[in-house]
Formats: sequence, structure tokens, C-alpha cells
Amino acid sequence: MTRWGMVIDLEKCTGCQACSTACAMENSLLPGENWQDVVFYVEGEYPSGSLHWLPRPCMQCENPSCVAVCPVEATYKTEDGVVLIDWDRCIGCRYCMIACPYGVRFYVEQVQLTQPDTRKVFASGDDDKVWAPPYQMPEAQWNPNRGVGAAPKNVVSKCTFCYHRISQAPKGTVDLDPSDPETRDFTPACVVACPPTARYFGDLDNPASQVSKLIADKHGMRLLDQLGNRPQVYYLAGKASGIPGTRKERQQAV
Amino acid sequence: MSDYPRAEFFALRPVGGISLAMVGLGAAGIVVSSAVVLFNLVTEGHSVFGTSNDIPWGLPIATYVFFVLTSTGLTFVASLAMVFGFKPFYPITKRCIWLAVVTLIAGFSVLAFEIGHPFRMIWAFPTGLQARSPMFWMGLFYSLYLVLLLLKFLTVHLGDWDSPVSRGLGVASFVTVVLAHGNLGALFGMMAMRPFWYDGLTAVYFLVTAALSGVAFAVLFTYLSNGVSRQQMPENLRSLMTNIMPGLFAAVLGVTIVFMGARIMNGLWSNLEGLETFYLLLSSPWFHLEIWVGLVLPFFILLSPKLRGRRGMLLLPAALVILALFIGRYEYVIGGQLVPLFRGIAQSGFAQYTPSFTEWMLVVLGVAITSFLYGAGEWLLRLADTPAKGHGALQAAE
Amino acid sequence: MGKIDLMTSRRRFLQATAVTGAAAAVGTVVSETVRPTPSEALAQVAKPETKITKNTCHQCPARCGIDVYVTDGKVHAMYGDLDHPISNGKLCPKGYMGAYILYDPDRFPGPMKRTNPNKGRNEDPKFVPITWDEALDTIAGRLNALREKGEPHRFALVYGRGWGASDAGLMRPFGALYGSPNVGLGHSSICSDGSKKAKKALDGNEDYNAYDYGNTNYMLNFGASFLEAFRPLNYNLQVWGHIRTKSPKTMVTVVDVRLTTTGAAADRNLIVRPGTDGALALAIAHVILTEGLWEKKFVGDFIDGVNRFKTGETIYPASFTERWTLGLIEWWNAEVKDRTPEWASTITTVPVQDIVKVAREFGTTRPAMAIFERGPTTHTNGVYNGMAIHSLNALVGSMYAEGGLMNQMSAPYGSLPVEVDAYLDDIAKAEAEKKMPRFDKVGSKDWPMAKAMIQEMPLHQLKGDPYKLDTIMFYMTNPIFSALDVKAWEEALKTLFVIDTSPFPGETAMFADIVVPDHTYLERWQDAPTYPFQGWPLTNLRVPAVEPIHDTKAFGDTLIEIGKRIKGPMGEYYEKLEGVENVIRHLAKGFETNPGDNGVNGFESWAEKGVWYKKPYLWRQVGGEFFEWDGMGYNKPMAAEDVQKNCFKTPSGKFELKSSYLEAKAEFISEKLGVAADRVGFPQWIEPKYTGGGDLHFVTPKTVMHAEGRSANLPQAVALYQAVAGGRNRTYLEIHPATARKRGIKDGDKVKITSDRGSIEALARYISTSHPEIVVLPFGFGHWAHGRWAKGRMSGNANEIIPNVSDPIAGLAAFNTVKVKVERA
Ligand SMILES: Nc1nc2c(c(=O)[nH]1)N[C@H]1C(S)=C(S)[C@@H](COP(=O)(O)OP(=O)(O)OC[C@H]3O[C@@H](n4cnc5c(=O)[nH]c(N)nc54)[C@H](O)[C@@H]3O)O[C@H]1N2
Ligand SMILES: Nc1nc2c(c(=O)[nH]1)N[C@H]1C(S)=C(S)[C@@H](COP(=O)(O)OP(=O)(O)OC[C@H]3O[C@@H](n4cnc5c(=O)[nH]c(N)nc54)[C@H](O)[C@@H]3O)O[C@H]1N2
Ligand code: SF4
Ligand code: SF4
Ligand code: SF4
Ligand code: SF4
Ligand code: SF4
Ligand SMILES: [Mo]
Repeated sequence: MTRWGMVIDLEKCTGCQACSTACAMENSLLPGENWQDVVFYVEGEYPSGSLHWLPRPCMQCENPSCVAVCPVEATYKTEDGVVLIDWDRCIGCRYCMIACPYGVRFYVEQVQLTQPDTRKVFASGDDDKVWAPPYQMPEAQWNPNRGVGAAPKNVVSKCTFCYHRISQAPKGTVDLDPSDPETRDFTPACVVACPPTARYFGDLDNPASQVSKLIADKHGMRLLDQLGNRPQVYYLAGKASGIPGTRKERQQAV
Repeated sequence: MSDYPRAEFFALRPVGGISLAMVGLGAAGIVVSSAVVLFNLVTEGHSVFGTSNDIPWGLPIATYVFFVLTSTGLTFVASLAMVFGFKPFYPITKRCIWLAVVTLIAGFSVLAFEIGHPFRMIWAFPTGLQARSPMFWMGLFYSLYLVLLLLKFLTVHLGDWDSPVSRGLGVASFVTVVLAHGNLGALFGMMAMRPFWYDGLTAVYFLVTAALSGVAFAVLFTYLSNGVSRQQMPENLRSLMTNIMPGLFAAVLGVTIVFMGARIMNGLWSNLEGLETFYLLLSSPWFHLEIWVGLVLPFFILLSPKLRGRRGMLLLPAALVILALFIGRYEYVIGGQLVPLFRGIAQSGFAQYTPSFTEWMLVVLGVAITSFLYGAGEWLLRLADTPAKGHGALQAAE
Repeated sequence: MGKIDLMTSRRRFLQATAVTGAAAAVGTVVSETVRPTPSEALAQVAKPETKITKNTCHQCPARCGIDVYVTDGKVHAMYGDLDHPISNGKLCPKGYMGAYILYDPDRFPGPMKRTNPNKGRNEDPKFVPITWDEALDTIAGRLNALREKGEPHRFALVYGRGWGASDAGLMRPFGALYGSPNVGLGHSSICSDGSKKAKKALDGNEDYNAYDYGNTNYMLNFGASFLEAFRPLNYNLQVWGHIRTKSPKTMVTVVDVRLTTTGAAADRNLIVRPGTDGALALAIAHVILTEGLWEKKFVGDFIDGVNRFKTGETIYPASFTERWTLGLIEWWNAEVKDRTPEWASTITTVPVQDIVKVAREFGTTRPAMAIFERGPTTHTNGVYNGMAIHSLNALVGSMYAEGGLMNQMSAPYGSLPVEVDAYLDDIAKAEAEKKMPRFDKVGSKDWPMAKAMIQEMPLHQLKGDPYKLDTIMFYMTNPIFSALDVKAWEEALKTLFVIDTSPFPGETAMFADIVVPDHTYLERWQDAPTYPFQGWPLTNLRVPAVEPIHDTKAFGDTLIEIGKRIKGPMGEYYEKLEGVENVIRHLAKGFETNPGDNGVNGFESWAEKGVWYKKPYLWRQVGGEFFEWDGMGYNKPMAAEDVQKNCFKTPSGKFELKSSYLEAKAEFISEKLGVAADRVGFPQWIEPKYTGGGDLHFVTPKTVMHAEGRSANLPQAVALYQAVAGGRNRTYLEIHPATARKRGIKDGDKVKITSDRGSIEALARYISTSHPEIVVLPFGFGHWAHGRWAKGRMSGNANEIIPNVSDPIAGLAAFNTVKVKVERA
């Protein structure tokens, strides 16, 4: 069985956020609904300060706490290893947002960070949709049961691993390589987009896949592994000694 | 059932101005707040709430937790007589059951406005059956609990206090609410990614604080319905309120303070990321109001025989404790989310949250529902009934 | 859309499944636990056609080829073109937002006329829609009237981001035919003329360089924001993944005035005081020479092979035999011998040991390259800073070497169907005779060496010196926001009839009397030859992805239509020229005899592929010998004249460390910069003249999510905006916490930033990695127009407080030389 996974090589990552904007475009996301975000950290002092960053999609956990807490099973894990949201079931309780350790879920009904509110500017005639920008995903690709397409009102959304793309890949596909015209269109948008090729996508259950090899050769690490969610997104930290911390700058906070 | 004298179902009882005011203000409050909330939700959607991706749960959830745990606590108080056989509590038992119903309805109403698709719950819960979700169980048990409570109230109201059915309902509602609240505790306590909440003993913590709010509500509303003074109370009630309640109140309050203290010390001492919220709490005036004025001061009042003997002196601690518990629920619910899961430069420090006007309106709604339904109950439903006396409407007329 | 429909239509995977039918489609979907639902079944039925059109990203000058996805007549996605040599299937973050630009709800729906005669920031222009005929007739009427009065020079057409022969290329002929020297005045003096001038002085090429990044082993980067802006950004980001994981890994040292993502991702980030890169580069040269690390095969050596470069000691020129450089020993004697790391350390604030370390690494790793752009050159001493840096490329022999620097070749375009000379009428000829000075005074005694002087134009207008313009037209530039003296621009535009061509309601448009909105790039035909990339020629074609969604017209066609309405032979010229599409067809004729590597040999194939290119670069220096590509390899040895013709285009045919180009203007440079006339030719240290009168250096760089005036109104971009880091929804003034606390400024406070030109406000952000004497406010926000999302982002426009002072040689505005005061607002 295929179990899709992603590898992000932090040594290559330039912090450019192309992954974030490509995801926003491909999936018709609201401003601020950053299914894929890049989090930046400043540490230390001039002249020895440093700056780190961490691109962060949904980890598509093997053991997803969001699925466990969803009271109505609106969030579920597919057999090919992807965690999706059924927008026709979601009650908008946001417990999954509380329970996801990676902060990658979004309620479509929040005060928009960037005003004026695009939901008003591109208001949807359809009462059920949060908005309808002219550039939204073509309707034929929507699938509310997978959280794909223009989001309805009052639900939670998150990265789908571009399920509308990867699920079209011929059965048995091992690597989704964006530089290969054969697999490019099935590859998640952020992986296609990433300029330095810091993102890889493929079958974690296949030991011969590129992602499996990278994880083995370059010491793939998982974010907040102590929480036991067992992400299917792995990071390669290269010469950096680890994945940047998640809750740094305690002093600044207190 | 038939062993007991039957009373009219609705007994219009000559009530004090307080109850009438509760009904009137409550009704007005319900109309105004729900109108405002509905209007805003329809025109703007849920973005009229101050919540964000960092703080998905805001004041309405804290209000919900406040009310349902109060309901839980009231069931505990009611169960003292009905399940555990502490007869002296009979004079407030029916009142507590009604209050439990009322506060639970208040809590649920607030939640209904808070949730994105409240009506979906009706079919999505039963068809989802997500056994791993504490929220599923909480929903299940609290719904069951509401049904049991209503049945229990009905039997009591019909004069059946201790037939096997009635007792059984009492035990069942007690057990369900323990399970319900346990799941509410788990709902927060299981969140390992949020250390502020992560605690195996959350259910116990909720148990204690629920009991405290139950006692405080029982005291407050008993007083309100008896003209604020013990003098007008019937003897058995006065004796309960004079001899037993202060001790019980103090004991539960004491345990709560110990629990809170331990939690805070633990939080302040530990370096675990996510616990710095406790430091933030220390710098909040609300926190100090909660601890010193809302918990410690009442504790000393209750401990001092001189003070608690004074007129109205049980009322003050009850009111203060309720205020403290409300602040506490807010701190608890919001506090767990204040340290962003990922604190980059864009999000250094703590996440920001200020409840919006609409969210405050939901608090008003909860309070108004409580006020209205309780006042109406006081007016119509003979809340002072005890098993010994038959029905309270007559008794009050004596 | 164009008359022909050439758009490649590729079926996306959607259709692939459609063909095999719903049942088969289910088979290809990996089975999953999803409950089948009606909507899923629905999704199987409707299979719209998805068309992919080739275009070129418009957000920055990099020329990335894009695939534009159109379904149901709507653009909904775009990705890098896999077959485009710059894109390689990738885009930088801005590239993906093209559809938001197309559907920007604040665009002008069609031509507009101002009805409010008062102009000002707070004056609503009260635009009313007009027809294209009315718009074009009005403009042509004014232009004809000026000609009749014998004042055609009082019409100016000012442009910024020109793309190619089908837009910017149309301007010079228009000016000649019309009779104004001011048609086609560029914005390069607020962009990056400094680096071009430094290169002109040393190697004779007045251009940015092309670079062989993929093969370099050491990159010494002076303020070129490689991962944020430096051209071509998208390719930089791509090649970064390669150079940082190849073997051997390319070492990168960044020299900047702050910690950038580039600096953070590099091996080392050195923070210098603004405008002092020249000192650092000279010290590096000093170490390379004194330690004998220079590339002897390229530079030459002492006759006896004994290194006589000793700190402070003069050398007898004849003791050294130079190969491809000119004036090394004189340079050493005049400048480098005293430029020790110790000396540079006091000027730059970089520790001595770091300077020495970098110099040794750079001097011993081959191939190595020193790159720079606006950072070191947007200063009063910009050209000399740039020369000091560029001379390092000569010292390590990286000019035209593998892993080194080259120059960009141009594409073999066909010629236009009409000859300008045949259509010049008497007015045009008379004007040419008069030799009217250019309105920006380029070429006058004030700016004899500059290429453009856009930032001076409002002052000229207000003073009436050299004269007052009557009508001004803007194409792809918004100097009232992005140049300096923006307040003077506002005053000047009040005195002018202003024509804007922007599709967006930018600041210029707010002062416009008439707006003739351009198509956005996804709606227009346009050629776009590459900026310097890898040397070999490459040129893109924009193909409209959709019919224009508004009543707009491609700028080139607007210009041609105006031309047709000018009385006399000029009108005939434009009738013959027809329109942009015809121009492009003639350009493409050049490919017939010169097909590209991807088979593009004419208009149709160009439109289908979106790009014509032809590898390789033709010239290569190997171990001090130059070779030309002979079809198989770099095998054909080049004579000195060939090198001079194709590579070092200096009078000497050498890399001139004693620049004859500058020496020719010795008097001017001497007067303006106080450099002794006999020293002007050397790369050297002169102090920047800090302006503004404050105590903190104020730097206003670019950031990766923002591009010039073209992404400010995209809510998605704004929401994702991270200044260096942090931000989201706004930019911050980045300030060291100690510096801030001293001024009573808390993190997040609103602050007032003041220079002798005025004050702006911004929010402060503590950034502990900042230099305590340098504050940073990213460029781009602070719009007061340009659409509903661009406005009101809680940051002022930095250019309001940056004094309008320029490097006299290149004319490049000294954006980063300013010092400000910062206090709590
Ligand atoms: N994202 C993005 N990319 C762009 C553009 C854009 O607007 N946005 N515009 C394009 C254009 S038109 C241009 S001209 C290029 C410009 O590309 P660059 O020249 O690379 O860009 P800038 O941001 O202007 O300046 C680069 C760096 O110079 C630093 N700097 C300032 N003063 C000094 C100094 O004295 N010494 C040193 N060493 N560094 C200094 C700044 O901190 C900044 O990091 O970018 C192009 N690419
Ligand atoms: N402080 C500070 N100032 C800077 C810089 C900096 O780094 N810091 N960078 C400088 C540099 S390098 C440059 S190149 C300049 C750039 O500054 P400008 O030359 O002003 O270029 P833009 O800001 O891109 O302005 C482009 C104009 O074109 C319009 N426009 C956008 N799309 C289209 C279109 O499709 N067609 C037409 N006709 N118009 C369009 C926009 O509305 C806008 O008015 O800014 C300079 N100013
Ligand atoms: S990262 Fe969060 S949302 Fe994604 S699968 Fe894991 S728990 Fe669920
Ligand atoms: S918000 Fe939706 S997906 Fe999340 S837990 Fe609630 S019902 Fe499940
Ligand atoms: S996999 Fe797709 S949905 Fe997920 S972050 Fe990447 S682009 Fe977004
Ligand atoms: S696109 Fe790639 S390089 Fe850029 S931030 Fe995302 S992961 Fe990093
Ligand atoms: S570098 Fe980015 S903004 Fe510039 S052209 Fe390429 S994709 Fe567009
Ligand atoms: Mo530029």
C-alpha cells in the first residue's frame, strides 16, 4: 500500500516561501490560511546572531491527533496515508485545531489578517461557500469530502497533500518527481514549486523510493517526535544540528 | 409515586421581586443577546468572534465550560441527598437539580452559537461514532445527562423522591455527569501538545472545581430565593445553610485552593515550553482578583465563625467564588492556547486574544438563560420542595 | 487576444482520467477510506478543458517562463515552465500570484479621465470612464499641438520596467519621429546603474554580469540579496540547492548591512557599515596580493616570481608582467598597499581576522566570484565601491572562466518593417538639429556619465531648468513612490498633464489626468529578452492566456495608436507598423535563420514554447587563454582583438585596474568627489557622505515576497509577507533591542523615523541580530494608493525621507547612505 510522505531538506531550503504561495494558488486559500507556512526564528545577538526557518505543511501524521479528537469523524486518514477533512461532516468545533501539535489547521471563519476581507470582496453567490475568487480551483477538481476546492462556510481546512493531484497518480507510483513530465502534474504544488528542490515526495512504504532513501541516508527527522504523532513529513537538517525549535524566545515572551 | 401527595404541575408561587426581576431581566437578556449574536452571525459569520488560528477557542468555550461544570457541581450537591443519603441536603436538592438543568441548557446554548455547524451535530455525532474523541463522549454523556436530569426533575417534581426509579435516575445522572465531566477533563487534559492543560488529573481538578461552583451556585441561588437572608428560610434549610453548608463550602474551596496552588507552583517551576503562561498569569490583575479576592478571601470568611455568622456572609463568598471560577475557566481555556505552537518572529511572545463584543454577548446569553429559567422555575416549579414536606408552594404559604 | 489562437492546449491529468471514463478513473485512484459521495461522482462527470499558455512572469525583471493554466476561461494556476532555462519548472514565491494580479478588483476597468482639477494625495481624481477614441484623441491632440508650437521636447515618456522591443523598444523611434529627446527616459538611476558603471570602468561592459553559479566554488557576495531579490531570483533560489549540496560545496560569504536570509543560509555573514564595501574589498585585495594568492595565469606575475607586494611598500611597475589586467602595480602603489585588514576593520566594523579569513578563502578557492548589486552601490561612493569589488574577480581570474562571470549576448531579432529615417518630417528634423538637452539632463555637465536621472526630474520641472515639460506619460514606473524627492514629484505632477498607463490605481495614477490602462501581462503579447543570466542569448514571448477582462490595451498598441494620430509622416509610419503583434512577428523573423535550441524558428513556434534560446556562451577564458566556441568546444584560441571585441571592451582590451573610461572624465570626478585627477582611474576607497543628519543608518532593502510596485495589492502576498522574518500583514522597522531601549522604544511600538527631509512612521520590531547602528525598513509598503490592500499598512514610504543625493558618476540615487533619528511616535 502506498503511504505518501514528504521530505524537506533544510540545508537546501532558502526560506523563499514559494511553497506557501504555490499552495495558496493551487488550493484557493484565503489570505492567512497558510496550509504551508514558513516560520522564521531569530536567535543570538549581533554580530553572532542567526536566523533559521522551517517550512511547515501538515505533517500528515501516521498517528494523527486531529483525527483522534474529531468527534464526528470528519477528519480521517486515507489508506494511502493522507489526513483529510470531510467538509460535509465537519461541525466547525475546532477541537482538531486544538489537538494538532503543528498548528496547521485553519478555521475558514476567522477575522482575516489582511483587511479588507477577501471573503467580502470576492463574495460567493453560493450561500454555502466562504468566497469565490475568480482564480479559484476549477470546480471539476473540488471534492468537499476531501477538503479540496473552494471551502464551504464554518469548517476547518488544512493541507491535503494536494490530494486532488496525488490521488490521480497511476497506482504503484513510487516517486512523484516534479522534474519528470510524467509525474509532474500529480506532484503536490509545494513540491513542484520549491525552487532549490528542497522538497521530495513519494511512497514511504517503499524502501526504494527517493524519500525512503533520503530519510535513511541523510538522517530524516520528524518534528516534535516526542509527541508521538509520527509525522509523514521528514526533515533533513544537514549541517544544521537539528530542526529549529518550535517555541523559542522564551525570554522575549516573559 | 402515588405515595406522595400530588401537586399541580405548575404552581404559581408568590415570589419575591428577585425572582421576578430574574425572569424579566433574563427574558430581556435572552432576546437582546441572541438577537445581536444571530444578526452578527448571519451578516458576518463566525469571524465576528475574536478567535484566531492561535486561539481557536475563546470566551464562549470558557463560558460553556463554566456552565456545564457548574451543572455538574450542582448535580453533585443534589446527589448528596439523593444518591449518598445526606438527608440534610434535601431542602436544596430540587433547586439544585433545576439549576443543573438550567446551567446545562445555558452552556449548551452558548456552545450552539459558538460551533460552526450546530445542527450537523445531530446527525454527525451518531453517524461518526468516533470513540477516540473525548468530545464525542462528552457530547454523548452530557446529552444523556440532560435527559436524565430532566427525568429526575420530573419525578421529583411529581413528588417521587425515592422510588427505585427516582433513585435510579439520580444515580444514573450522577454517574453520567461524572463520565461527562471526566471527558471534558480529558478533552483538555489529554492534549500533550499543550502542556498548560496536559495533566492526568485534569478530570479530578474539574471535579473539585465543579463541586465548588455547584456549592457556590446552590448557596447563591438559595439565598436569592429566600430574600437574601437566612432569617426567612425554613428551619431545615436554615440549619443546612448555617451548620453544614459553610463547612462543606470551606472544605471544597480549601481543596480547590490547594489544587490551584499546586498547579500554579508546578507551572511556575517547570521550564517546559508552553508553561510560561503561568508567568503571564502572575502579571494579570484578573488572576490576582481570582486568587486573592475570589478564593482566598472567601476561604477566610468561611473559616471565621464570627464572619460567616453575619447576615449575608455566605452570600458574599458564593458570589466571589463564582466570579473567581468564571475568571478561572477563562484563564484555563485561553491559557492553554497562549503559547503559540510555533513561535517564530511573526509570532513571538504570546498569542493575542481579546473577546469580541459578540462573544461577550454570548456570556450575557448564558447568564440570561440561567436567570430566566431559574426565575421561572422559582416561580412555577416549587423549587423548595422536599420529600418530607410534600410541596413547597404550600409550605411557603404557611 | 491575438488574431491567431496558438495557445498550446495540453490536457491535464483531469482529462486523462476523463478519457478512460469514470470507471477507469476510479481504478487509478488509490483506494481509500473515503465514503463515496454524490459530489465525488459529480467530479467525475464534468471535465473541463485546461489550456496551458506560455507567458513570462511580470513581478520582477528576471524573465521566468511560466505555464498559465486556464480552465473555464479563468486563469487559476501558474507554474514555472519546465522547459524554460531560467524557470526549469520553478518560480519564486511571487510568480504564483499572477492570477491575483489579473483579477485584482481594484484595476481600472478601462480608460479614465480626471474630472477633479485639483491634485494631491487627498484629492480624489474623480475619474470617469471614457472611450479609447476619446483617450487617444485627447493625447494625440496635445501632442500635435506641442509639435505645432515647435515644442515637442515638452512631451516626455518615462518608463521603468521595460520588457523588450515591443514596448520599451518602441520609444526611441517614437521620440525621433515626434521630435522629443525625452521619449524613453528610463528609471535605471533609481535601480542599479552603479554596478553597470563600475563594470564599464573596469571591463568596458556597461551591463550587469552573467554568472556561472553552478560551477563556482566560492561566492563572495557583497549586498546582492541572492535569495531575496538579486536577478534572476528564481534561478538563484534553484541554483542554491545545487551549489550548497554539490561536491565540493560552494562556500558562500555574504557581506551585508544586516542579517538577510541569504546571509543566514550562507557560511558566513559579515555585517558592514553601509557604504564601506569598497574598504573591505580593497583589504581583501591587499591580503590576496601580499599573500601571493592572485591568479597568476590571468593577472601575470613578477618577472622573477618573487612577491614584492608588502604592506605599505611601493613597487617598481616594470618588475611585474601583466596579462589581462592593466595597471595592477600602479593601483597597488596608489591605493592597495595601505589598505590593510586593520585599516578596513575600523571603517567597516568587520573584525580583522574575518577579513583575513575571507580573503584567504577567496584567494585560494577556484573558481570564485565576487558579486554585488545595489547594496554597495546605492551610496555616494557607489561606483568606487563596485570597482573595488569587481577588481577581485580579476585578481582570482574569474572573468569569462568556468564558474566565473560573463556578459549577456542578445537575441538575433529580425528588423522592423518600417524605417524611421524615411518618416522623419521637418519638425522632427528641426528638433534633432536643436539638440535640446534631455529633460533629465543626462549628458549635460551635471550628469555627463549617467544613463538616466529620473530622480532629478521633478526638481527640473519645478525650476524650469532645462525647461518645463507640458505632458508626461508613465509606463511601468511610479517614481512618485519609488524614486526620491517624492514630495517634489507630487508638486511637479500638479503642473503637468499626466498620462498613466498602469492597469492599477497607483500613486502616479492618482495624479493622472488621463489613464490609458495596459493589459496585464496575462492578457498581452510582448517580447522579453533576458536580463543577464548565463551569457547565451535567450528571449521570451508573452502570449495572452485569456481575453482581456477589461477594456484595456497593450501599452505598445496604445503608443502605436497615438503615433497613428500624429499628423504627417509619423502617422504613416505607425499605420505601417500596425501593432504590437506585427512588431513581434517581425522580431521572430530573426529566428528563421537562427533557430533556438528548442526548435523555435519563427513566431508560431516562439508562441508555442514561450522562449527562444541558444546555448552556449561563445567565449571562455581558461588559464589565462581565451577561446571561442567552435561548435564542439571552446577550442578556437582568440586573438587579443577578439577578446577586446567580445569580452574586455575597454580601450586597452584589458581589465583596466586603472580605468581609462574614468580618466577621460577626470576633471568632473575630481570636482565632484574630491579625488585627485591622477587617481580617478583606480578602484579606491572614498568615504560615503552620509546624508539625512541622523545617528542611525537607514536601509530599505527588497524582500522576497514583494516586487517593486507590483505585489503591494495582493492580499495573499501581504498576509505572507515576512520582512526579513516576521511581519505578516505589515513591515517593521527592524532595530536592535539595545538601540531601541535606549530610545524608550518597546517591541511593536509605533516609531517616528526622521531625517532632514521629514518623518515617517512605522512599527518597531526588535531584531537582536541587527547591527546596533543600523535600522532596516523593507521597501515596498507605505503605499498611499495602489488599491485597497496596498494602502494603510502602518508603515510610511521610506523614500519620503531619503535625501535625493546621487553618486555623481553613475547617477545612481544613494538610497542607503542616509542616517535617521528614531524615536517613539
Ligand atoms: N523580491 C524582489 N526581487 C527583485 C526586485 C524586487 O522588487 N523584489 N527588484 C528587482 C530589481 S529592479 C533589482 S534592481 C534587483 C536588485 O537586487 P539587489 O541589489 O540584490 O536588491 P536590494 O534589496 O536593493 O539590495 C540588496 C542588499 O543590499 C544591502 N545593502 C544596503 N546597503 C549596503 C551596503 O552598504 N553594503 C552592502 N554590502 N549591502 C548593503 C541591503 O541590506 C540588501 O540586502 O532586484 C530585482 N529582484
Ligand atoms: N527605498 C527603496 N526605494 C527603491 C528601491 C529600494 O530597494 N528601496 N528599489 C529601487 C529599484 S531597484 C527600482 S527598479 C525602482 C522600481 O520602481 P518603479 O520604477 O517605480 O517601478 P515599480 O515600482 O515597479 O512601478 C511600476 C508601475 O507600473 C505599474 N504597473 C504594474 N504592472 C503594470 C503593467 O502591466 N503595465 C503597466 N503599464 N504598468 C504597470 C504599477 O502600477 C506602478 O505604477 O524602485 C527603486 N526604489
Ligand atoms: S499535523 Fe496536525 S493536522 Fe496534520 S495530521 Fe498531524 S495532527 Fe493532523
Ligand atoms: S472542526 Fe471539524 S474536523 Fe475539526 S474536530 Fe471539529 S468536526 Fe472535526
Ligand atoms: S502538499 Fe499541497 S496542500 Fe499540502 S502544503 Fe503542499 S501544496 Fe499545500
Ligand atoms: S519553497 Fe522550498 S526553499 Fe522555498 S521556503 Fe519552501 S521549502 Fe524552502
Ligand atoms: S524571479 Fe520570481 S518574480 Fe521574478 S520573474 Fe521569476 S518568478 Fe517572477
Ligand atoms: Mo531595480
